[in-house]
Amino acid sequence: MLKPAPRRGRQAQRQRQTLAGYAMLAPSLVGVLGFLLAPVLIVIVLSLFDWKLLATPEFIGLANYRELFSDSDVWHSFLVTLYYVLICVPGTTILSLLLSLLVNRKLRGMKYFRALLVIPWMATPVAMGLVWTWIFDPGRGALNQFLAVFGIDGPAWLSSSLLAMPSVAAVHIWQFAGYNMLFFLAGLQNIPAALREASALDGASPVAHFFAITLPLLRPTMLFVLITNVIGSFQAFDTIFVMTEGGPGNSTEVATYLIYDEAFRKYDFGYASTISVLLFVVILVVTISQFVYFERRTTYDFS
Amino acid sequence: MSRFKSTPSLSRRTVLLGAAGLLGGLTACGSSTDKASSGGKTELVYRLWDEQQEVGYKKVFEAFTAENPDITVRMEVLPWDQYWTKLTTELASGKAPDVFWLTVENFPDLAGKGVLAPLDDVIAKAGLKLDSYHPNVVQSYKFEDKQLGMPKDLGVVGLLYNKALVSKAGITMPDQLTWAPDGSGNFLEIARKLTVGDKQWGFCSWNHSQTQWLNWIASNGGKAMDKPYGTFDFAGQKSIEAMQWARDLIFKWKVSPDGTRTNPPTGQATEMFYRGEVAMFPANNALLPYALPEVKFPIGVAALPAGPAGRTVVINGLAEVMFARTKHPDEAGKLIAFLGSEKAQKLMGDAGYIIPALNDAGAGYAAYWKKKGIDVQPFLDSAAGSTVNMPIAEGWTAKVAEINKTANNLYLNKTEVPGIATTMDKIGNDK
Repeated sequence: MLKPAPRRGRQAQRQRQTLAGYAMLAPSLVGVLGFLLAPVLIVIVLSLFDWKLLATPEFIGLANYRELFSDSDVWHSFLVTLYYVLICVPGTTILSLLLSLLVNRKLRGMKYFRALLVIPWMATPVAMGLVWTWIFDPGRGALNQFLAVFGIDGPAWLSSSLLAMPSVAAVHIWQFAGYNMLFFLAGLQNIPAALREASALDGASPVAHFFAITLPLLRPTMLFVLITNVIGSFQAFDTIFVMTEGGPGNSTEVATYLIYDEAFRKYDFGYASTISVLLFVVILVVTISQFVYFERRTTYDFS
Repeated sequence: MSRFKSTPSLSRRTVLLGAAGLLGGLTACGSSTDKASSGGKTELVYRLWDEQQEVGYKKVFEAFTAENPDITVRMEVLPWDQYWTKLTTELASGKAPDVFWLTVENFPDLAGKGVLAPLDDVIAKAGLKLDSYHPNVVQSYKFEDKQLGMPKDLGVVGLLYNKALVSKAGITMPDQLTWAPDGSGNFLEIARKLTVGDKQWGFCSWNHSQTQWLNWIASNGGKAMDKPYGTFDFAGQKSIEAMQWARDLIFKWKVSPDGTRTNPPTGQATEMFYRGEVAMFPANNALLPYALPEVKFPIGVAALPAGPAGRTVVINGLAEVMFARTKHPDEAGKLIAFLGSEKAQKLMGDAGYIIPALNDAGAGYAAYWKKKGIDVQPFLDSAAGSTVNMPIAEGWTAKVAEINKTANNLYLNKTEVPGIATTMDKIGNDK
């Protein structure tokens, strides 16, 4: 019979293990602390200061926050952001789900199609934004030239306050649909084939199978895709910066663009930080709600 | 940009790579730390955004180092957008290039902040005289009676035209073009002759303050602003007439594409000229080196049309400025003085890059472009005639962005011009 190790020895061993664990974590931890957590804390601190770049920062407590709540530009930008999110998230999710169903077949050359669909995500957003402004050009753009084939006189997509937002959102959807398709594809391939056969035996139509079996079993993937998409859409900046600069008027001035404007055009880093904190809180609340909603409805067990 | 790429799988490797990249970037970025290497040699950092002029400045700095063997100059070229964000953050952190380029529009945001070294002593010590440079450029970089910028070059507005289209229409460009708010004058006449259906326009009236509406306002006898850091008067009668004229060229006289195709940031105005869809196109002379490789037709240059108050054109000159907290004030001062010298300015002018801000130094510039088949004399004549500065005000970079955004409406025919002008005044005169 083995004697249990003396208590002190076990404790020392556990301590050593803990230390070793942290030592192995350290490289990641440094990254997370230094490049994710520290900036967040710095921004929160900065939001309490009146700091115009090139001037001395001055502590002003919550004055920036008081200004924030009476600033119609800020409210407008958050409504615009919400509008953007409400187009992009369902658009990207549905399109990527459909694409994944489409490429989840064993056909020759299918992997090339898959790769092709992911390319928009690999390209530089700024370059893509530039290419899309050419496509959207009312006179010579590919889109209106195409519409002209059918005798349609295409509108000025990016100069109309009505159409500019759907146009930039469409670019976002195009850019991320292929990438999100990969997650759904992985999710689909995790669903045991036996379920497919069982439902077929029970006489379920492909549509019924999709809604009764596939979709519920994709919930873990859905959770991930929705959360990353919501966060990504709230933080969208680059394509809007290139394509509309928040215009025409302020019809595409999303929160991140306003932050950029305050920080790098007006050099008001204190106030820009305050808007950033608000955006952070909004995203945090939305993300937590998503988790809570899905927690009760998700199964990770396919057996 | 990489929001989707990094977050879901932030592995240790990506973090480390990112960290390494960042550190590498930090150490590589140019700032005047202690670069005084062995042997008492000093390396100065010179920041610019124009990769064409970078080639020209190589010769300038060779000449400078020949005169000052202990000082070398390293150039850093940054793309336009990055230039300003990086510069501002560097200035705030106290580490900026020793000498860098500045525009009229960006001057007010830096002038009162103590980050630009006054150059009056440097200029006096080198025996240079400020009144031998174009007065508009000198004035543009003066703040509270201190000269903060060494006049570098002149950006003059002239009228580029497509010689192929002009001769096809059987037109000889008159010596003097004229316009008036009511549509009289030979400019509109020619623009109409050069307009063919909806595929070719005689002119391009678009939202570009420097080459367009600021000139209309000035040559109509209006003033965008009474004096630097003064009060805006876009809603004044003369200014409104001029801005209405800018709109009429599109919607009344139909000689120009409208704002849906030309408004920044997505507009393609310059490209339309390059492609031969627009026959006459006002531009800063600095556009020439960029335009030439793009076009398949010979470019002609005329002076801007003279309005009821004669011809007045916008001058937008650049300056070289010195970082107030440079580690090498003496060496940087020498460099500034050299850049203002006839030798340096002519090196750049004779190679066709710039019209020197130094008076009567433009002959080499004209000779260079003559060899390329372009007569740039109208630019030089315009600069010697009646000129006006771009307006400036406190917090200008933020305001000018808003004003320019508002001016997009001038080219869309949706809201009345006086209302747009009032909004522009309100933005400009704020605080």
